[in-house]
Amino acid sequence: MKAFELDGLTKRFGDEIAVDELSLTVPKGSFFGMLGPNGAGKTTSLSMAVGLLRPDAGTARIFGVDVWAEPTEAKALVGVLPDGLAMPERLTGREALLYLGLLRGLPEREVRDRTAELLDVLELDDTDDKQVAGYSTGMRKKLGLAIALLHAPRLLVLDEPFEAVDPVSAATIRTILNRFVENGGSVVMSSHVMALVERLCDRVAVVADGKVVAAGTVDEVRAGGTLEDAFVELVGASTRGVEGLRWLSA
Amino acid sequence: MAIGLTDVAPPLVRMRLAGFRHTLSDPEKSSWIWTGASIGVLLAAGTIWAGFADADLVAVAMAVWMLGWAVGPLFAGGGDETLRPEYFTMLPLRPRTLAGGLLTAAFAGIAPAVSLLALTALIVLGARLSLLAAIIAIPAALLQLTSFVLVSRLAVAVFGVLLRYRSGAILAAVVNAFVLAFTAQGWALIAAYVSSDVQGTMARAARISPSGWGLVAVESAGCGDWWLVLLALAGLAVLSYLMYVAWAALLVRRTTASRGGVRPRWRLNAHTARAAATGKELRTWSRDLLTGHRLAFAFGYGLFFCLMPLAVGWSGMLPWTGPIVVLMAGAISANLYGSDGTAVWLTLTTPGAAAVDVRARQRAFLLVVTPPVLVLSVLLTWWADSPDSWPLVLGVLPALIGGAAGLGVLLSVFSAVPAPDPHQRSGNVLASGGDDGQLVGQVYVMLVATATVAGPALAAGLLWGWWGLPAGLASGVLAWWWFGRVAARRLETHGPELLSLLRGGAGTTTSRAKQRGPASRGSRFVVNACTTLGIIALVPQGIVPMVFKLSGSSVTSWFLALHVDEPWQWPVIVAMIVLGLTLLAVAFIVYRRSSPAAEPATG
Repeated sequence: MKAFELDGLTKRFGDEIAVDELSLTVPKGSFFGMLGPNGAGKTTSLSMAVGLLRPDAGTARIFGVDVWAEPTEAKALVGVLPDGLAMPERLTGREALLYLGLLRGLPEREVRDRTAELLDVLELDDTDDKQVAGYSTGMRKKLGLAIALLHAPRLLVLDEPFEAVDPVSAATIRTILNRFVENGGSVVMSSHVMALVERLCDRVAVVADGKVVAAGTVDEVRAGGTLEDAFVELVGASTRGVEGLRWLSA
Repeated sequence: MAIGLTDVAPPLVRMRLAGFRHTLSDPEKSSWIWTGASIGVLLAAGTIWAGFADADLVAVAMAVWMLGWAVGPLFAGGGDETLRPEYFTMLPLRPRTLAGGLLTAAFAGIAPAVSLLALTALIVLGARLSLLAAIIAIPAALLQLTSFVLVSRLAVAVFGVLLRYRSGAILAAVVNAFVLAFTAQGWALIAAYVSSDVQGTMARAARISPSGWGLVAVESAGCGDWWLVLLALAGLAVLSYLMYVAWAALLVRRTTASRGGVRPRWRLNAHTARAAATGKELRTWSRDLLTGHRLAFAFGYGLFFCLMPLAVGWSGMLPWTGPIVVLMAGAISANLYGSDGTAVWLTLTTPGAAAVDVRARQRAFLLVVTPPVLVLSVLLTWWADSPDSWPLVLGVLPALIGGAAGLGVLLSVFSAVPAPDPHQRSGNVLASGGDDGQLVGQVYVMLVATATVAGPALAAGLLWGWWGLPAGLASGVLAWWWFGRVAARRLETHGPELLSLLRGGAGTTTSRAKQRGPASRGSRFVVNACTTLGIIALVPQGIVPMVFKLSGSSVTSWFLALHVDEPWQWPVIVAMIVLGLTLLAVAFIVYRRSSPAAEPATG
């Protein structure tokens, strides 16, 4: 059984093809990294894969459940952290988790316990006097992760989970995610921080111009070198920045 | 070397024009712009006509223009936000230099051009007096335009400061409500406390207020009173300078303030999914100061509108306070999903949450509006001491409340207007960031559609007395249930499209344009123009004068029908209603014909 299967996902915006027949599979229990330069189509693909953006073609399955044909069943299996979307801005973090937990049909006692634990682990437990609208970017990421974890999903789909997060919190998040995978969960994470992906993930896919240009285990993709070298080679090296900008010297 | 205004202004003007060009290339937005511009040109033509006819009319028209500049942005998303001061905070500019540049750029737009056209009424008027008066009219018109643009910017800035505090938000709402209610019902206060010559007093007051100073300069030049010419022009210049200084000071405040929102009170404490969703929505009403401000405005407007006629001893409006409040409150809840920004993704990723969320928003509206409106209605109807009003008011109220709660979510789902996520709102707290024209259009649609839901109750009440009550209850419950159901279904099947729209906002025009609405720019223009003009003909020129005539009111205001001779009044009213309905029908037919084929239910 595959945890996550994207098959021929395609999305056009006008004349521009953002994602072009993108396919990849994520085995159960793997920590999967999705790499790509800015604008490669990572966020668009992940949005289509979790039911937030309707694809022009292709399918997405979570543990065999078609996200677009059986959305209710699929959504119960996955926890999502999108990049840069709003949250219940007028609630506090604790209230937002309580509200979303109850909406997912969890018993209130359970929601309150999980919320307290999540806020404690993610060091958000002293923010009860703040609306989410007043959170910093890093705090928003952490709350987003808490929301994704709240209903104990079997698959996590995280878009840039470490962006703007401080090093201490990043270490905490790494620990949480590693434990999640050890206990049988699967994680798909997009990032452009190579060192992080190399350290956390067992499998990666490199996306460029809306297509998968390489996929496999980390060792297969880096083929003896570093992941960064392999990445630069795959998406095309740039020598820009070496020449020019002479006026910049002080 | 210090950077001066002459360095800053040209690039800012070019930036604003570039933004404007991009807006024009979006067919949906440009059709709203052209619709607004066409109506503006019509109003300007009316003002110029007044310049040929009557100086008093010009004075009142100028006051209306200035009022439009001052309060318009408060309803239409905080005015133009192409150039936000926040973009320029890291430039080494003195605040007044930046303010000067932004002010210069503020003139590069359609609204100032249309206003300048209207201000040529001063030149027309001057030409009728003397050549010198016509020449004086040129600087007078330019200074007057400057004061218009500045009063608009200053008003937005002042409200921006007030809306950071709970008390400020409410104070701003009360002031706003009073000013707007005064434009409709102020005649009563004038008649009671100032003079029985209401129109003469209004013209005199309009000349004394800054909006009339340009006119005073022209008229004084016509009769050779040069001291008054100088005084009026200098007055405009000094006033504009003072507004400019105040605005520059407030800009600094705006760009350096924090945006966390008020400290939460009254914690969410729910036990079920339904209660949690309702609780979340109620917190938005109480914690989002912009929402709270608009709600306070709805109550203030209803109260002032119906209480002002008491000054001349007319209590006939009192029972209608509640219904007016509900109409206004409904009009502000027509973009619930848009004003939450992209937060709808959470509803989409939570199985089965769509229907719960839609119903919760309806319930929250009900809980926020009903208790105070009921109390107001009972108290004021009792005070008015008109037994005939009871069945009408009590019948109309449930229909309006149910209608507003149903239509609010329906419009929120079907025609959401993208707005920035609450945490990314700019320093201009009023800014919707979206289609301002579309927001105003939604308000009109809500007002008319909600009022329509109360039609059966009103008819039954007028014909058969207390039968209005069950009619109102039935239509209210039906509107609540049915519109809510349609909205929930739509959110379930088309949630991702709603999210794409809200996420894209401005810029993703190609994907947006395909999603809804008539295809060609021409047909969009026809739809918008017919809808706007149709509503104007139907409601303010048809239904409202009809109600005034039936109730024996002496108000004539801008209702064409009440200005013609008695025998012609009813024919004009009927003609306006027919014209309005015809235009709306044309809009609907064009919309249906030119829209892309209906999408399959689940995409």
